[in-house]
Amino acid sequence: MTELIINRIFDAPRELVYRAFADPDQLARWFGPVGWSVPRDSIDMDVRPGGHQRYTMVNDAEPTQAVTIEATYHEVVPHELLDGYATAPDGTTMSLRLEFHDEGGKTRLVVRQGPFTDEVAEMTRQGWGSSFTKLDDCIATH
Amino acid sequence: MTEDRLSTIFAALADPTRRAILARLADGEATVSELAEPFSISLPAISRHLKVLEHAGLISRSRSAQWRSNRLEPGPLREATEWMERYRHFWDVNLTRLDAHLKRLQEGPSS
Repeated sequence: MTELIINRIFDAPRELVYRAFADPDQLARWFGPVGWSVPRDSIDMDVRPGGHQRYTMVNDAEPTQAVTIEATYHEVVPHELLDGYATAPDGTTMSLRLEFHDEGGKTRLVVRQGPFTDEVAEMTRQGWGSSFTKLDDCIATH
Repeated sequence: MTEDRLSTIFAALADPTRRAILARLADGEATVSELAEPFSISLPAISRHLKVLEHAGLISRSRSAQWRSNRLEPGPLREATEWMERYRHFWDVNLTRLDAHLKRLQEGPSS
């Protein structure tokens, strides 16, 4: 439970889904919460290991409200994987991993996101113990 | 909640022994020696883990007679869960927009 995992199937080939994240012209056309846009000219991305990414989410109704996200790519496999760390203006650093799986012409996207600390990174590599299932139950009943 | 606090919580949760301790405390309060029983590590080592958990607010410790009792505090766990839910919502909405975008791309050759 220290990592958010989201699975979603898209009825599109994975090259297309990958490009939606890796091509700034594409990203500008859909990314952001409802009511927010990511202006094309705010996006700067260098999609390779160690490369940087920066974009700004701007509130449509109140354009003075803007959030700039800075990220660094850690691992990049074209059409398969985008893995990196993102830092929000409040200083939160998060790990973000996007996996693109081919499912017979469709694409299963797996989003993995977690707060990033050295310990968490180490833990993520080791995997979670089953002891946590019980803890989840405990949280649910409190 | 400050993000630093959230990092402290997640860092405390990052250790398997500490998660096992929390899971044990989910069944009820326990003393240090009771908590140490299932592990092949020393009491001081368990005490160090308990300090980390206490610092993160995940447990509270009380002294009744000479026994120090440890208790699970659900609040910070809930905060960690809420952090997850916030981003889950972000991605739900965001990926719905991506779905619509991909449909537009594939439908209209002019788009």
